[in-house]
Amino acid sequence: MTRKAAIVGGNRIPFARSNKKYARASNQDMLTATIDGLVARHGLAGEQVGEVVAGAVLKHARDFNLTREAVLGSQLSPATPAYDVQQACGTGLEAAVLVANKIALGQIESGIAGGTDTTSDAPLAVNDDLRKVLIAANAAKTLPDRLKLLSRIRPGQLVPDQPRNVEPRTGLSMGEHAAITAKEWEISREAQDELAVASHHHLAAAYDRGFFDDLVTPFLGLTRDDNLRPDSTVEKLSTLKPVFGKGEGATMTAANSTPLTDGASAVLLASDEWAAEHKLPVWAHLVDAQTAAVDYVHGGEGLLMAPAYAMPVMLARNGLTLQDFDLYEIHEAFASTVLSTMKAWEDPGFCKEKLGLDAPLGPIDRSKLNVNGSSLAAGHPFAATGGRIVASLAKMLHEAGPGKRGLISICAAGGQGVVAILES
Amino acid sequence: MGTPVVLSSAPSMGQLFAKAALTARGRGGALPDTHLTRVAVAVDPAQVADYAEVCRFRFGDTLPATFPHGLTFPLQVALMADRSFPLALPGLVHVRNRVDVVRPISVTEKLDLEVWADRFAPHRSGATVDLVASVRSRGDEVWRGRSTYLARGASAPVASVPDVPDLEIGDVAQAALWRVPDDAGRRYAKVSGDVNPIHLSGLTAKAFGFKRAIAHGMWVKARALAALSGRLPSAFSVDVAFRKPLFLPSTVTLATGQREGGWDLAVRNAKAGTDHVLATVRPL
Repeated sequence: MTRKAAIVGGNRIPFARSNKKYARASNQDMLTATIDGLVARHGLAGEQVGEVVAGAVLKHARDFNLTREAVLGSQLSPATPAYDVQQACGTGLEAAVLVANKIALGQIESGIAGGTDTTSDAPLAVNDDLRKVLIAANAAKTLPDRLKLLSRIRPGQLVPDQPRNVEPRTGLSMGEHAAITAKEWEISREAQDELAVASHHHLAAAYDRGFFDDLVTPFLGLTRDDNLRPDSTVEKLSTLKPVFGKGEGATMTAANSTPLTDGASAVLLASDEWAAEHKLPVWAHLVDAQTAAVDYVHGGEGLLMAPAYAMPVMLARNGLTLQDFDLYEIHEAFASTVLSTMKAWEDPGFCKEKLGLDAPLGPIDRSKLNVNGSSLAAGHPFAATGGRIVASLAKMLHEAGPGKRGLISICAAGGQGVVAILES
Repeated sequence: MGTPVVLSSAPSMGQLFAKAALTARGRGGALPDTHLTRVAVAVDPAQVADYAEVCRFRFGDTLPATFPHGLTFPLQVALMADRSFPLALPGLVHVRNRVDVVRPISVTEKLDLEVWADRFAPHRSGATVDLVASVRSRGDEVWRGRSTYLARGASAPVASVPDVPDLEIGDVAQAALWRVPDDAGRRYAKVSGDVNPIHLSGLTAKAFGFKRAIAHGMWVKARALAALSGRLPSAFSVDVAFRKPLFLPSTVTLATGQREGGWDLAVRNAKAGTDHVLATVRPL
């Protein structure tokens, strides 16, 4: 038995720039508030849903059962099972795929997929040398042994390890990786700035016409994402200095890269029957999804290029071409990532040699891309981005009418990517 | 309504406690009919976050149910520290507290606070007085609090106030074990401003006749409510009787039972089983 899971609703809190409005909110605070907002909007108080699946990328050790704890503190029935997932920036979309697959298999009738991240309330790890001494001291049997071990602690060990946004195997930040790819694909500064400005204008317009009224719940005084700059222009952005990459060819600035952000999102998925019973509209179905990974360490591929590889696999399985879609959502980790990915799909050499295709996947109609803005404007609380995109795209497809197709592409740390197809 | 006195800021609690101690002698007479008020008080989200952390509430858009008590408490203390108040503040024991959450309050709302004294009544071991708080937002009452204090050995001037029945709870079962640390009083004092010395350290508590520092009753109440996060109606009343003091440190149990659309609760000593706090939560 397989059926397609329906997307029937979504909720998120506005995304906040790091150390601003949500500086004191933890991942559990934000995820609980987001689930409660979804519960309130869809009349699920006291109800048991099949499963809640969510995650966070930056996670405290105390949050080992983050999603279940959020469920227990929420208005959902305490008999609702939950589990955590983590696939870097792919977390939110992967969570939705997992819930949708269980619904498709008939194992559950409804579920919530979500994600949360805070770069403000980020975990600080104890210096690893200190940690080892403390563990040994704790295990020591006698007091003299314990004191001897504790006497080995040095002042330098009391400085905690700062979380750093770098790939463990390459020592480069994600921005530095993206800068390498941008250079390889010869992505111009101007093209990146244009994409960033479009993101801000589209998101502002979507807020203005009330598109997010049933997708966003205000939180701690924020009603819109505070990274949003409706008056952004290419001229203004052109004055900024590059922050990633070096020398003449450096093109990536703070404006065409996503800022560190705090926030959470959740999506309500269900079988068509469950949706009908609860009198909830089916916005779209999650038709299919695909992940891919690349060897960005030794293989010469860009860190964020994995979605380029996932896409043809999924398209072939569904008998579709890259042009068979009404709307495209390509996560704007960096403007250059979106542009590099699209350029790769148009490139005969890349499509033949890397993807093993006879012909390139071809171009995407830019007027259908990220039409209500994306991460450059909204911000990108890592695990929360997938839920933001899935809920928004499903609603857009629903508004466009039945039979409309939407495509999602999200790149993730560790050289991974997740892509998915939604259809109204 | 009696004499309204509008304060422009929250009074300093340390100074009030000192003033109350120095002017404790020679008090008596009837309750003043003063109403202390503050208008358009903005809530500091950082203070809410601190409070939520110590009481184990989630920090979010809605104020923890007991948080407005902390906003009105300085006004209570100011009223009781004033010479016109008939009972001496040092030695007053918080024996009962009722909070009505009329509707959830957002952290972004500006609140009007009003506090007055009420119900000066005889008690089997002295006299009790209620400090009543009302919180309004844009004219509508959104929160009410009633704190009952006992003055041992004191006498109330009139016996015309009807008796308040003792708080009774039904069957409850253990839901959680709390290890309440030595510094629980200091931590709550920091986030609530209630710096009554009986909560701060063994030494300062001894000066007031307690063998060790005792936990704030309102902290116990708050933490018990926090344990019910997500399981409470949007409008409810929580009535609490403070029984035996909770000496620090202690291990206690929280026992709960669902009743009449709400809850009965008990916080008890884990070893002896003595009652520290009994509570009922009912929808409004």
